[in-house]
Amino acid sequence: MSTPLDWKGYEPVLIPKISGLHQIDIYEKNGGYESLREVLLNKTKWPDAVSVVNEVKEANIRGRGGAGFNAGLKWSFMPPVDGGPRYLACNGDESEPGTFKDRKIFEYNPHLFIEGALIAAYAMSISTVYVYIRGEYRSFIQMMEKAVSDAYAKGYIGKNILGSGFSTEMVVHSGAGAYICGEETSLLESLEGKRGYPRVKPPFPAQRGLWGRPTTINNIETLANVPLVIKNGASWFKTIGAETHPGPVLYGISGHVNRPGVYELPSGMPILTLIQDVAGGMRNGKRIKAVIPGGSSTPVLRGDALEGVNMDADSLRQAGSMMGTAGMVIMDEDTDMVEVLWRISKFYHHESCGQCTPCREGTGWLEKILDKIMHGDGETRDLDLLLDVTTQMEGRTICALADAAAWPVRYTISRFREEFEARCRKSVYALA
Amino acid sequence: MAEIIIDGITYEFEGQHKLLQFILDQGKEVPFFCYHPSMSAPANCRQCMVKVGQYVKDRETGAYQLDDQGNREVRWFPKLQTSCTLDMTDGMVVHTQETDTLVQRAQKDTLEFILINHPLDCPICDQAGECPLQIQTYKYGPEGSRFEVKKVHKPKRIELGPRVILDAERCINCTRCVRFTDEISKTNQLTITRRGDKNYPITAPGEVFDDPYSMNTVDICPVGALTAADFRFKARVWEMNQTPGLDITNGKGVNVDLWTRDNLVLRITPRFNPDVNDHWMADQGRDVYRLYNENRVSRPSIRLEDTKGSMDDGVAQVKTSWTNALDTLAEVLHENKASTILTIGSPYASVEENYALQKFSSLKGLPSPFFTPHILEGSGDGFLLTDDQAPNTEGCRLLGLEEIDTEEYKKRIKGASVVLMLNDDPIGRDILKASDFKKPFVVVFATNHTDTAKAADLLIPTTCAAEHTASYVNVEGRIQRTFPAKETRYTNRRLDLEMSEGRLDRYGTTFDNWVTEENRIDCKPTWVSLSELSQRLGIPFSFEHARELVAELSSQHPAFEGISFEKMDEERGILLRRAELTT
Amino acid sequence: MEYSFSKDDLAKIDEIKSRYPEVMPATLPVLWLAQDKFGHVNEEVQKLVAETLDLPVSHVHGVAEFYTQYYKKEMGKFVLDVCTCLSCHIGGGYDILKHLEKTLGIKAGGTTNDGLFSLQEVECLGACGYAPMMQINNDVFVNHLTPEKTDQVVEGLRKGKYPEFESIAMPLNPNTSASKETV
Repeated sequence: MSTPLDWKGYEPVLIPKISGLHQIDIYEKNGGYESLREVLLNKTKWPDAVSVVNEVKEANIRGRGGAGFNAGLKWSFMPPVDGGPRYLACNGDESEPGTFKDRKIFEYNPHLFIEGALIAAYAMSISTVYVYIRGEYRSFIQMMEKAVSDAYAKGYIGKNILGSGFSTEMVVHSGAGAYICGEETSLLESLEGKRGYPRVKPPFPAQRGLWGRPTTINNIETLANVPLVIKNGASWFKTIGAETHPGPVLYGISGHVNRPGVYELPSGMPILTLIQDVAGGMRNGKRIKAVIPGGSSTPVLRGDALEGVNMDADSLRQAGSMMGTAGMVIMDEDTDMVEVLWRISKFYHHESCGQCTPCREGTGWLEKILDKIMHGDGETRDLDLLLDVTTQMEGRTICALADAAAWPVRYTISRFREEFEARCRKSVYALA
Repeated sequence: MAEIIIDGITYEFEGQHKLLQFILDQGKEVPFFCYHPSMSAPANCRQCMVKVGQYVKDRETGAYQLDDQGNREVRWFPKLQTSCTLDMTDGMVVHTQETDTLVQRAQKDTLEFILINHPLDCPICDQAGECPLQIQTYKYGPEGSRFEVKKVHKPKRIELGPRVILDAERCINCTRCVRFTDEISKTNQLTITRRGDKNYPITAPGEVFDDPYSMNTVDICPVGALTAADFRFKARVWEMNQTPGLDITNGKGVNVDLWTRDNLVLRITPRFNPDVNDHWMADQGRDVYRLYNENRVSRPSIRLEDTKGSMDDGVAQVKTSWTNALDTLAEVLHENKASTILTIGSPYASVEENYALQKFSSLKGLPSPFFTPHILEGSGDGFLLTDDQAPNTEGCRLLGLEEIDTEEYKKRIKGASVVLMLNDDPIGRDILKASDFKKPFVVVFATNHTDTAKAADLLIPTTCAAEHTASYVNVEGRIQRTFPAKETRYTNRRLDLEMSEGRLDRYGTTFDNWVTEENRIDCKPTWVSLSELSQRLGIPFSFEHARELVAELSSQHPAFEGISFEKMDEERGILLRRAELTT
Repeated sequence: MEYSFSKDDLAKIDEIKSRYPEVMPATLPVLWLAQDKFGHVNEEVQKLVAETLDLPVSHVHGVAEFYTQYYKKEMGKFVLDVCTCLSCHIGGGYDILKHLEKTLGIKAGGTTNDGLFSLQEVECLGACGYAPMMQINNDVFVNHLTPEKTDQVVEGLRKGKYPEFESIAMPLNPNTSASKETV
């Protein structure tokens, strides 16, 4: 485990302290699009696309959308160029409850992301980049559209970029209200103008993605890291934060803290430091009851089990949770965990696309049982039923939404069982 | 050759296979709902889960790695797999519900999920008895329900179109119906609406599901969500007999099943034939069950008063005995000059009927029979509907019947003294008018009281495609045959080995209130009537069963060489070469 | 009401279509365009979109029904989407929703009789750190809601004053608030 961290001395790189950086000329003045220029034109340093893929792979940018997969490795799954179109879909759906970080990039440093996406496009010989942004982010979509059109005007996107001979297009595409479209294959369906039903894998998007062509899907924040890696090198990137999960991270902190918001800090920050120092401590000096570390689907951690837990994949796995999107929800001692879990389950019930059985039926069942318990009509056997239902959902569906719905139930009940039992009557009869 | 081990048994295979279909092809079972062999596999029901692994091979030597006991080591996939979408690979090891409790548990879990929001209304559901959900719940499902909260409610009794009714609560969202309109009929009339557990299939608002193939969605619906407007609540499936037959509404020769109860055909569904219609049929062909039941010619009729050339049968045609009818016919044929007697074949009649007429005319020294096809340009759709409206035009051609156009047809009728016509409706087809029958004495071998039958002078009731064994040649030259589904006055299920016998048939007697004697039509196959006629005329023509006619065709007619009903059954029809017609 | 696209709309739709290799991907953006124009995408608008794009109406209907932001029926002039999901829930989102129900005299899912306001309870909008919050007409977010602020917003809307985009700085990065001028 790496040792943090002089976080106070950390200089943000994803969203640096520069005013007006969202404007393209200010971005350029501060070294913007230099990485793209390097990659396209400096053939000594970047002889070919593979060299770019390798550098990014080496940097180990773990996907910031939740899965934590090495972005460069993902790029390397693209099949050889065959002359047909190839696509990059940038995932700005950002709809996991507790997550509100990519919007900061759209607002404050859109060109960093655009530059990253263009480098990725070059590295994978992408013909069109689609930037999928959730429909609720209309304000941010407008910002992105402006930024993309400015980048077009300056010749960073389009035909023969910077005279390199490389061409690619970029299109901003708005979602319209569906959490599931953050799932990568569902996002592709939505881009194709359909109901956002996740696809059966295999075939994987790298083989058959948008319109049956090779496609890679990357999170916005993931791509925003790319120009930094190109500029400063993979070895620099790996010095930031946690060894196995390096790089800057946009922590979204919400809930009962004094200073909620998005913070750019190195990965691997101790959760307690984030709460007590970074986010200004608990509101009204209350005790921490629970922390959801990476968006609502990641297993909740008890407030009394946070000592030594850092925000990186390994540390969180050991603690029994996951990094997810680093969207942290902090709950104080007055929080009703039954209600919280009910609300999370209501969300997944609402957002299940309904395509496949265990999720379509299971998410509703979970919510309804929790609703019953919340209203004092639950029995202790219902808790076991809830756990049973989660077992029946996990790993049995086309995409991971069922898992995302099941984990909070499983772990909230197992980690706060006493609170749930207190709300339930003792069962007289067993269930069938 | 590549091999796969399923439940401990090794199967060899070549080429690309999806696991589920392969398992089904071996006669084994894995439960499923959404999968359909003729459509894309969305893997959305998650019912066909199996445990899958791969034998571990040493990378260098290629030899199987063995465990401590000397058994081949298996690397299991971390999750259960849906067998419908899984590509088989060499050395794959599969455990189905037969051998693995984990798989059993998963399948049971999925069924529990499917059932929680499914109405438990099997006793009043039309699908009961032929419901994959019911059957698979019985075999693999949970024994009780743990669902004690409120079910999701959705619209019921929605008329999607004129022929299909939706009960959205029963729907399990397998999307077979939507995929059918997207991939097979290509009308795109259905979609899934809403989201999550509120999902159900529907047309666009204000649009009618009038797809000419709409009722296939009823067939493939694995639950009682889609039912046929016409058939629902008519019969329980276990009361009916299912008899293979052919669609007679056009030239495609779609394979069907006739569903009968008490000698009424209640519905017609497609029967799988990959060479003709796959799993499908057009809605149009399903409606002819009425033709088999209603408005039938039962017992011969004869015109008494001189109302010739009109269709006022109620007054003019009276029932008569078979003896009188055939005596009259023999007399008419005897009295008139052979060259003025017309024999007319029919593309609506079977090969056997046309051949019988052909042979009879030749023995009696009458002019050879002719026919005119019934083609409506533009009715075909390149799928299962053809321009040809009749089921056996090609059969008439192969038999060598003279093919004439409608003008010529009309002309010939005008000059005739007697017309002997197989089952056809030239008046209904607007070739003739009733008044054209003023002069000749018209004898019609008829199944139904068509306009032509009504104008006839002598009506000989004849068996329909639901009552006889006979063959028909489709537009592609494929000869296929029917089985008798309905009893006539002269047939008996218990004696006729080709007929199926259902529960009610087996345990019913004529004294039971569910046995209706009138449903058995007083009619005979045309060749039987012609045999009885020949006896009176002293002609050596005698056939009891179509089999005898087929045997004769098979040995004597080059176009039909080597055919037999058994061969047609085994090979799902025999493709006859049209070139042989000319020889 | 007759729904139709103007010449400009059709030009815009052609431009949208040019972004994709096929027509179907234009479904979502054109539904958005239609909703911005007509205020909703009811059955007739869905049909118009389908006909304009030459796609099956069933397809457009299925898509419109899948995505929650498309209004399948006519809505009030101002649609208030109050988030009650996880972070907003623990931050008092339901209190704001109840407060609005009381002030407007309607339940979530309803529209006021004067047709001015529709109120909806919605899932996470991605403003978790600024809870509780709501979105107006699928557009701007109004953050850090209190009953008082909610009242102000409602009163403002009544007077035709549309809330402005609130740029919220990253706490450790005060410079970021300077980008207010983007909108």
